Amino acid sequence: MPVAAADGKLAGLPRLGLGLGLRNVHFDAILSGEPQDLWFEAISENFMDSGGRPRAILHAVAERYPVVLHGVSLSIGSTDPLDRAYLASLKRLAQDIRPAWVSDHLCWTGVNGHNSHDLLPMPLTEESLAHVAARVRQVQELLERPLILENPSSYVRFAQSTLSEPDFLRALAEETGCGLLLDVNNVYVSCFNAGSDPIAYLDAFPCERVVQMHLAGHQDFGTHVIDTHDRPVRAEVWELFRIAWARTGGAATLLEWDDHIPGFDDCLAELRKAERYMAGDTVSSGAAECVRGGDGVSNPVGFLIPRAMASVMEDAA
Amino acid sequence: MSVLADMQSRMHAALIDPHADPAAQALFAHDGRLGAAGGLAIYQRGYFLRIAACMREQFPALCHALGRALFDDFVADYIRDCPPERHTLYDLGRRFADWMEARRPDGDAPEAWVDFMIDLARFEYAAFTMFDAEGNEGNVFATSDTADSALRLQPAFALGRYRFPVASYYHAVRRGEAPLLPAPEPCHVALVRRDYITRTVPLSAPHYTFLAAMLAGSDVDAALARISARFGIDPMMARDMWCGAAGSRERWIEWGLFVAVDAGPVKDI
Ligand SMILES: [Fe+2]
Repeated sequence: MPVAAADGKLAGLPRLGLGLGLRNVHFDAILSGEPQDLWFEAISENFMDSGGRPRAILHAVAERYPVVLHGVSLSIGSTDPLDRAYLASLKRLAQDIRPAWVSDHLCWTGVNGHNSHDLLPMPLTEESLAHVAARVRQVQELLERPLILENPSSYVRFAQSTLSEPDFLRALAEETGCGLLLDVNNVYVSCFNAGSDPIAYLDAFPCERVVQMHLAGHQDFGTHVIDTHDRPVRAEVWELFRIAWARTGGAATLLEWDDHIPGFDDCLAELRKAERYMAGDTVSSGAAECVRGGDGVSNPVGFLIPRAMASVMEDAA
Repeated sequence: MSVLADMQSRMHAALIDPHADPAAQALFAHDGRLGAAGGLAIYQRGYFLRIAACMREQFPALCHALGRALFDDFVADYIRDCPPERHTLYDLGRRFADWMEARRPDGDAPEAWVDFMIDLARFEYAAFTMFDAEGNEGNVFATSDTADSALRLQPAFALGRYRFPVASYYHAVRRGEAPLLPAPEPCHVALVRRDYITRTVPLSAPHYTFLAAMLAGSDVDAALARISARFGIDPMMARDMWCGAAGSRERWIEWGLFVAVDAGPVKDI
């Protein structure tokens, strides 16, 4: 897909407003409640090869709400060959669900045929940039749509890196026509851990390419922070959101919650706080909610599993 | 190997075995709050904890049977020997039972509890995969009026044969009970999903043989002939086990084991 074509498609993507990550514990509440002004982001891998209830639920949700597909295993930065079977499956899902867009992360998830199930950081070098750009072009060609890539949260920076993450993403977007997903919680987490300034990160970020934003909670260990997605959004992150959202010109905004997930209405209430900051309110110091506990595992991957698994055992036949 | 490939291989090797390459931290910048070793340690810890949490969700009964600490130790050894390959977390447990079989902790002196753990792992993974397998929801099932010759098994169906009553143990754990390790006892079960509910159906040995024949493509008559031959059961009695007053036909149809294929003229049963 030529850059101009990708650029044109990006410009045509809808402004979806506020959305929530689709999680299995909310399935019933979403489908039984009155439709509202909302959209959902589904983790692609949880539905791609599904022949069971998850795929049926996603279908039903997509009939009522706009949906986007968010992947965690594309591994766009890996030096392993692109996984053609994965891409074919993702394309089938996209043809079936008709998402507003398809996103993943600037990362690699594995190498040498293995998958770490984590979003591992890239060395930010010219070699990486050329490698990722070539693969983004292939993926866009195959999916026939621009790819939207997210800044990951990170805990290390490669000693060999020569580019900043905003510069890397800007160059990547300009070379390929891809769009960007700006996760302001990840900006906070990565910058805090690196000891760098998140405002300077936003100042350097190509906000004009941002199609979507992510909000999430992280856990503060004092010496460092971990991207746990298990609690409300912290005040520092709301402040980054307020600044960045205005610069994106009103990008679609989504709240991610992956562990200790509260009820649907509580998640919605947390999401709706964004409206204040979209209206330009500055963050009051009382907005910080401090939640203790949790095991501090970064949580980039939403799993479905047993709560969606109904089963019965019959007596002997 | 390119510089990028080399960096990725080293970082990934350091996740799989944190002790293999103490110099791996040299890949990373030392400034920042975590330092190189501290930052890498977060990925190493997260790698194991994330996969172990997922394995506990795929094998709740095995985790109960072994206890969480021992289960986690098994998982640590398992993923070191068999690092995850596929993009889906559902695949994590696929090789677990085979791995336990190959790496039996009782070595050359087999102990029954190890057999139980292996069988339980096999059953749990089968039950787990059934939850998201290709099924027949949205399509028509066979009814009691369907002719025998038109009955075929539906896609979300599996058979298992075990040395221990693993299915009842599994369901007890799922109900929140704390069952004791059971004594050996041959156990045949079918797993079938209808309306997104996975049903465990305990089977007798002839029932198992009947369904195994159907799974291999036989129709009902051929499957009945198979159990008559295999167990020396009179053909009339075999038919009675199938569609007599206490036969399994009605219940199995109700539980969604069968779909109907167009198989020629309808015949009386
Ligand atoms: Fe995110």
